[in-house]
Amino acid sequence: MKKQNQFILRLSIIIVGAGIALFITPFFGIKQLSLQALFHSTEFQHIFFIIRIPRTLAAFIAGGGLAISGMVYQALFRNPLASPYTLGVSGGASLGAALCIAFGATGSLFGVSLISVGSFAGAVGAVLFVYSFAWSKGNNSITLLLAGVVVATVCSGLIMFVHYVTPLRHSFQIMRWIMGGVDGTSYTYFLIMAIPVGIYLLCVAFLLPQLDHFLTGDSLAHTRGINVARSRNIFIIITACAIGAIVSVCGPIGFVGIMAPHACRMLFPGTRHRLLALCSFLLGGTFLTFSDTISRTIAPPAEVPVGIITALVGGPFFLFILYRRKGEFHL
Amino acid sequence: MALLNLKDLTVQYDQAAVVNRVNLSVHPGERWAIIGRNGAGKSTLVKTIAGLIKPKHGSVLLNDQVLEDFSARARAKTIAYVPQKLDTTIPYSVYDFVMLGRYAAMGLFSMPETNDHDLVSQALTFCDVADLQDRMMPSLSGGEMQRVLLAGALVQQASLLLLDEPTSFLDPAHERHFFDALDKAFTHNNFTILIVTHDINTAILSCTHVLALFDGTIHYCGTSQEFKSRCPEILNTLYGIPFEPFASTQQNTLVYGTWGQQ
Repeated sequence: MKKQNQFILRLSIIIVGAGIALFITPFFGIKQLSLQALFHSTEFQHIFFIIRIPRTLAAFIAGGGLAISGMVYQALFRNPLASPYTLGVSGGASLGAALCIAFGATGSLFGVSLISVGSFAGAVGAVLFVYSFAWSKGNNSITLLLAGVVVATVCSGLIMFVHYVTPLRHSFQIMRWIMGGVDGTSYTYFLIMAIPVGIYLLCVAFLLPQLDHFLTGDSLAHTRGINVARSRNIFIIITACAIGAIVSVCGPIGFVGIMAPHACRMLFPGTRHRLLALCSFLLGGTFLTFSDTISRTIAPPAEVPVGIITALVGGPFFLFILYRRKGEFHL
Repeated sequence: MALLNLKDLTVQYDQAAVVNRVNLSVHPGERWAIIGRNGAGKSTLVKTIAGLIKPKHGSVLLNDQVLEDFSARARAKTIAYVPQKLDTTIPYSVYDFVMLGRYAAMGLFSMPETNDHDLVSQALTFCDVADLQDRMMPSLSGGEMQRVLLAGALVQQASLLLLDEPTSFLDPAHERHFFDALDKAFTHNNFTILIVTHDINTAILSCTHVLALFDGTIHYCGTSQEFKSRCPEILNTLYGIPFEPFASTQQNTLVYGTWGQQ
């Protein structure tokens, strides 16, 4: 009974936190807004509805999407260190964006900036390369992870090279992009990210029971009725596309994808992926939304890149949960 | 009609044939023991039947249908598999883990129904692990874990149960508990069993048929009665060491053991 109460309390806190993140945080920023002011000032209405709401929604969807993709990769590879960026997604996206910035491709394609297109192409390209490589070597998950680490490292080296040879203003722009952020997200960019992420979440919702089996090992999953190879392929490809969509709008925001699912595993030990996914999505979304709120309120009128906040706030929080946890840590 | 037919089955690792031209017919209700030295191809054979390894030549037929033509779910409804040992730490409760065995029988949303819960409870009772159902899997002992694995296989309600040395890491007491659970389940469900074992006496006393493999080829294939009548000679050539019969007063039969070169 005590366990059940604890479970309900924790789930309630996560849901309330998500509610606060979505409905309260848009009032906070460089300009603090009040409900009363919102009804009377057109300037505040503009700030609230045109700037803050799409930004908050983008942060929530991006955080939730990154948390789900982290959860998926951790289960697929049975590796607690797997993150949305494990297969070189972050490296590929950053390289794509860096090349676009360096070559001055700052225009747009069907209303989407070329930098976003480049980062999406880089993210998906990196995963496809890693995946084809591992496929040619028998589709072993260890090969896949190692190839991902190598691609990420090579991309990082290439980004440094691009940094080195481009003019200072491009170099600064690249650096800022790599730090990630949801500032300046319009409704158009929110939709560009939210539609593929929404489709991804729907697909994952159908496939969640299969993830439960991946944690029991490939052999057992196979004999329990999972087409392991096909299922893993589907998960990897749809997850890569979703991460590509998120990164192309928000840049490579780190830590959310690794922190949120692990925090949920610790808060709800033994939980199967259906509930874990819901909690991870809400916690990831809440975490990134709060981090973004801190990023725009901590040093007004300047904004701190949200990637710095996610690492500085999320790191100690994660260590705290890890410290409080009794017994060994399992996926 | 045979439930399982192996036709000219050959499995290779790199270029070496681990299972070589094996032919076998298994009928419903039979209990087969697969014995042989380490590396004889026993586990490889069972994994090939489970669809975990693809054969180089030949085929595995289930109810006269080629195994590769089965969908993953259809295969899981026909074959259940208990591995020697789990290679991973499973973060679920015993009950949830056993429920995973119902996956192939569940619908699109994989939501368990009353029937699924009943089958899980029944399997947990058969395997004498009902009192462990709320425990987390990593907290189980080796013997408990194997019985939970058996319960997970039983809820699949498959007609063919494959067991790959399920008691090799267990002490004699836990081994006995495991086989008691298996006997209980067998009596209730009357499925067909293929069990890889190093225990010659299990093969003779608990199984209806014996398949002895030597370097991937069949050394003996027949009833356990005939196998018993040809022991210990068949064991001596299979393992390359002398076996001796010992009288078992309780079973009123002979058991076999070896105490080194005489």
